Amino acid sequence: MKHFILSIIFLSVFTSQAQNNTFGDGEKLIFTASYNMSGLLTDLAQVTMETSEVKTSKATLYRLKCKAQTYSKWNSFFKIDDLYESYVDPSDVKPYLYKRDINEGGYKKFVQYNYNRRAGTVKSLLRKFPSKGGVWDQKNTLNIGSNTRDIVSTIYHLRNLDIHKAPVGAGDSFTVLFDNKETIINFKLLGKETINTKLGKKECYKLALSISGSDVLKGKNSNLLWLTADKNKIPVYAKFEVAVGSGELRIQSATGLKN
Amino acid sequence: MKILYTTLAIISVVLSLILSILPFGNLAFIPIVLAVLFSFLLLKESRKEGKSTNLIKVLFLGIIVSLSVSIYRSIFTKNTVVETEQTIEKEKQSEEDALKELEDIELEN
Repeated sequence: MKHFILSIIFLSVFTSQAQNNTFGDGEKLIFTASYNMSGLLTDLAQVTMETSEVKTSKATLYRLKCKAQTYSKWNSFFKIDDLYESYVDPSDVKPYLYKRDINEGGYKKFVQYNYNRRAGTVKSLLRKFPSKGGVWDQKNTLNIGSNTRDIVSTIYHLRNLDIHKAPVGAGDSFTVLFDNKETIINFKLLGKETINTKLGKKECYKLALSISGSDVLKGKNSNLLWLTADKNKIPVYAKFEVAVGSGELRIQSATGLKN
Repeated sequence: MKILYTTLAIISVVLSLILSILPFGNLAFIPIVLAVLFSFLLLKESRKEGKSTNLIKVLFLGIIVSLSVSIYRSIFTKNTVVETEQTIEKEKQSEEDALKELEDIELEN
C-alpha cells in the first residue's frame, strides 16, 4: 500500500509536463570526469554542458550541447572528442533534433534523430566510418512514444521535475532513444545530502539511476546523481559503475545560471 | 629471499619511473610505495649478509627521481583541454546543419 501511494504521488509529480524554469540560454557547466585506476581516481576528461538559443524562420529553440574531451595529456594515448546536441523546445524541453558525433580513440560514429512529434516518429541516420575507409549510412524511421527523448534532453528534463514534492524512496522512469532503441532509465530519490563541491557546500537531491533490461550500469544504487536542491537543480556530482570499472563526474564551474 | 626482494624492488622502481613520466596521475605512487618497501627489505637482507649495497643506492635514486617527478606533476600540471580549430569548426558546422534540418519545424506549444 505504501509503495502504491508513493508511486501515485511520484507519478503525479514526475510525469507532469514540466515547464522549463531551471535553465535558460547561456548556461555553461564544466565537469571533470575521473576514472578509478587501481583504487586511485585519475582525471581523464572534461565534460561541458552548454545551452544557447537558436532561431529558425518559424521557431526559437534551445541548443543543448554536451561535449566530452580528454585532457590534452591523454590525447596521444586515447583521444576522446564527443559532441552530443539536442535542439529542444525551450518551454518543455521536448527534442526536435538530436545529434551525436563521437570520436573515441579513432572510433567514429554519427547519429542523427529528426523528431516528428505529431506523427510520433523519428527519422534516424546512423553513419559509421569503417576502418577500410568510406562512409556507411543507415536510415530508418522509428515509432516512438510521446514522452521519448534523447539522452541530453532527458538530463535537462530531469532538472525541471518538481523533485521537492516527491517523497524519499519514490522513483520514476524515462524513455530514452539511444542507438535506435527505446531504453528505460529509472530514477529513484534516495534523499537529501549536503556535499562539498567546487561551487561550495551544496544541499542536493541524491538520485539513484538504473537502466531496465541492460547490464551497462552495475550494482544496486551504485550509479548516483546529485542535483542541487535549489531552483537551478544543477548536476554537481555523479558516480557511476560500469562493467569496465567505476568513476565519477565532479563540477568545476557553473556560469549563466537562470536563478 | 634476497633474489625475490631484488627482483620485486627492480620491477617496482622501473614501473615507478615509467608511470611517473606517463600521464597516469597519482597512479605512480603505488609502485613507489612498493619500491620503498622492497628496497628496505633488500637493504636489511644485504646488511645481514654484509654484502655491497650499491644496487640499493641505485634503486633509492630511482625512487627519489620518480617520487620527485610524480609530486611535481601532481602539484603543477594543470588539466587542460585543447580546443583545436578543427573542433571549433566541427561544432559551428554542426549548428549550421542543424538549423537547416530544423528550418521547417513548428513547435507543438
